[in-house]
Amino acid sequence: MLRILHDTNFDFIKWWRWAAGVTAAFILAGLASFAIRGGVNYSIEFTGGTLMQLQFTKSQDAGRIRSTLDRAGVTGAEIQQFGSDSEFTVRAQDKRDVAQQASGAEGVSQRIEGALTKEFGADAYKVMRREAVGPRVGAELRRNAGIAMLLASLVTLVYLAIRFEWRFGVAAVLSTAHDVLVTLAFIKLLHIEVSLTIVAAILTLLGYSGNDTIIIFDRVRENLKKDRKSPLYDVLNRSINETLPRSVLTHATTLAATLALLFFAGEVIQPFAIVMAFGIFVATFSSIYVASPLLLWIEHKWPRSVSSDKASGKATVRASRTAELPAGERTPRPRPTEGAATR
Amino acid sequence: MSNLKYRVLLIVALVAASVWSLFPRKVVERVKRGDSYVFDTVTRVPLKRGLDLQGGMHLALEIDESKGTIADKAEALDRAIKVVRTRIDEFGVAEPVVQKSGDNQIIVELPGIDDPQRAMGVVQKSAFLEFQITDETQALEKALPRFDAILKEAGAAAGPAVVGGDTAKSGKGLQELFTPGKDSAGKTKGDSTKKDSLALTTGGAFSKLIQQGQFPGEYFVAESDVPTLQRYLDMPAIQSAIPPGKVLRWGGETQTLGATQYRPIYLLDSRPIITGEYLVGAKPNQVPLEGTVVEFTLNNEGGRRFRAETAKHIRDYMAIVLDQRVMGRPPVIQSAIGTRGQITMGQGRSLQEAQDLALVLRAGALPVPLKVAEVRNIGASLGQDSIRNGVRALVIAMLLVVAIMVVYYRFSGVLSVIALGLYILYTAAMLAYFNAVLTLPGLAGFVLSVGIAVDANVLIFERIREELARGKTVRTAIDEGFRHALTAIIDTSVTTILTAAVLYQYGTGPVQGFAVTLIAGITASLFTAIFVVRTFYLLWLSRSRGAQTLSI
Repeated sequence: MLRILHDTNFDFIKWWRWAAGVTAAFILAGLASFAIRGGVNYSIEFTGGTLMQLQFTKSQDAGRIRSTLDRAGVTGAEIQQFGSDSEFTVRAQDKRDVAQQASGAEGVSQRIEGALTKEFGADAYKVMRREAVGPRVGAELRRNAGIAMLLASLVTLVYLAIRFEWRFGVAAVLSTAHDVLVTLAFIKLLHIEVSLTIVAAILTLLGYSGNDTIIIFDRVRENLKKDRKSPLYDVLNRSINETLPRSVLTHATTLAATLALLFFAGEVIQPFAIVMAFGIFVATFSSIYVASPLLLWIEHKWPRSVSSDKASGKATVRASRTAELPAGERTPRPRPTEGAATR
Repeated sequence: MSNLKYRVLLIVALVAASVWSLFPRKVVERVKRGDSYVFDTVTRVPLKRGLDLQGGMHLALEIDESKGTIADKAEALDRAIKVVRTRIDEFGVAEPVVQKSGDNQIIVELPGIDDPQRAMGVVQKSAFLEFQITDETQALEKALPRFDAILKEAGAAAGPAVVGGDTAKSGKGLQELFTPGKDSAGKTKGDSTKKDSLALTTGGAFSKLIQQGQFPGEYFVAESDVPTLQRYLDMPAIQSAIPPGKVLRWGGETQTLGATQYRPIYLLDSRPIITGEYLVGAKPNQVPLEGTVVEFTLNNEGGRRFRAETAKHIRDYMAIVLDQRVMGRPPVIQSAIGTRGQITMGQGRSLQEAQDLALVLRAGALPVPLKVAEVRNIGASLGQDSIRNGVRALVIAMLLVVAIMVVYYRFSGVLSVIALGLYILYTAAMLAYFNAVLTLPGLAGFVLSVGIAVDANVLIFERIREELARGKTVRTAIDEGFRHALTAIIDTSVTTILTAAVLYQYGTGPVQGFAVTLIAGITASLFTAIFVVRTFYLLWLSRSRGAQTLSI
């Protein structure tokens, strides 16, 4: 039997301060980048604008394409090589260009095409892909994406609150929200273009990270029923250790699939795969270092009452632990324990 | 034992159903033959590919209110959808989609379309056809001083006087070219020459831009002056000064005279003698003298009306106005016209243009103008690349996952790999069965789900290992393992399905495809991980009675 990380006894939660520091620093870096470098790099789906992928019959100079577009009055366009030196993407996302599309989204792309045909000839290039989005559609989509994120979190919260106790639900949702924040910071720091596919990646992560937390919490719930004496701190640590092999293996297979996407699925999917790959690490990290300390903190703030909790023995233990905490301390300072497994 | 038999039967039945629903079958599809696309029956796996995978065009259309508000938008949109659908059906696309989205958009999806410009024209053309008699009363000449006065009052936003002088000069040349000394035309010439000089002295901004044409109601404007004149015409004061009962309409084609291009503009009776609503047939044709034409047929009532009206206007000129633009040059009415007529498109127009015009005329006019709110089109070759890449990523992801599972869990790993094979089969079958659209993000979601799908197996296997470590027998360990892992598996699946459902609700095409794939994947993975693998274990247990060790 091949075993990894079997019967471990790591005191994971001991490190929660470090973890909180690291993750807060990362989110702050993202926020700083947001403040310094300006807003989110939205794709044209969200801002409105025109995207064209052009394939020329022979290699072309991006400068010549740019000056051709300038003459046609499409001044804010961004021209990028795409793969070989005969393929380019043209992205006209400038406010002025977008405003011109209010009366018809196809206008700018038609002007670009007209100018290119005049300069290079109609047979010299082919439009492989064209996306033109009017300003109103973009605004609507942005709103919808926001609603989708909020609604997905809300739905998860409600489900968890029904299935688990509300404490678990809140901890799981806050930790998932943390994942979304960190992933957004990552997207911002790497200047990844936020398209609808990226939103899909973030929502998938929302589900995936929620799963990871659920697996651990499910074990916590079970261990709490079996063992009514140990403090929650120890139960959490034990549960994390017990689910560790599963976590490692599942993350390994998911990461394998994500890497296959990253390297073999083509350029269009790459941003999705990068965000997913990063998200898998964040989900692993957060279910251990964010969700669990949050659950501890919630327990401390609102200790479960003896009557409503079947694990009445545990509740008294909790109360005595709470008493040890210095006044004004917002989170319980974990006492170093000697080995989590008390089974 | 019989329980086990039914389990195996169910799995086999589902496999058979999946294979059947995925079995390549004959479908009618638009395929490329040489340079053109034709309908043909091809045999392929019945998985519907999204526009981003097979190439094609996605259009979102909205009511264009820039030219006046529309009272009952919902009703107008419904009628517009009917017209667009009729046009698209005649356009010849396999599996087109025309549907309402929200309460203000029409979504049109045309798979495999190779000429997006043309498709957009067919969908968007208002195709409002009117027959109007050109003005006989020289109403415009009479109104010109009024126009000039309005412009002068407006602060002479007119172009520089030099341009006016130029136009006036070339205008004279034009007069000579167009008026071969006919009496009435001579008179007109005198009039307009006088007005020209008047324009020069008073700076009459309007009248200096237009010249008398060849017959009453026709005028010419130098191509370079067209935007200026259009700006004047858009002014409310000018609009209200246009002679009552008349309208000004631009001609469709420019005329070249010397070095200058001229665009005709016509003053027409605003009441059309008939409109396109009586039209029952239209077909393109090419005739030697007139070039490309669309021949149309009116219904009986239309024919009667047309005959009566044209009889009243013999020797008058009749403009055929499509979407407020005069088609060709208005012909003179020689005798009463019945149910048949033709629209001249002019020389050098392709037969395809005439075909498209005939098509939109047959389908009827759009009740409201539509504008494009969003357009996406993707070349077929790009879609093919995406499919190839996606399948390659899927195979590699499979291999990696298989390697991890078999190395780590040995015999049990092999069971889970077989279950994974079934998982892929079931998911694909479900997508085919529900006619779900497979998109590029959907394909990515599928690849990703292969990694996530084994999670349930991992949970169960780890649980069984724990039970075995506690010294339970193999049979009990398996039972307990499945039982304990179940709650976690269900919780994770439900949360993922909920997020996917939200994504489906708020996403657009490709992302909806992603959500659908995700939901199908999770459902299949629940079944394979819990039911199929369990059955495999039960089979194994029944074969090797009293097995002491389990390779896990």
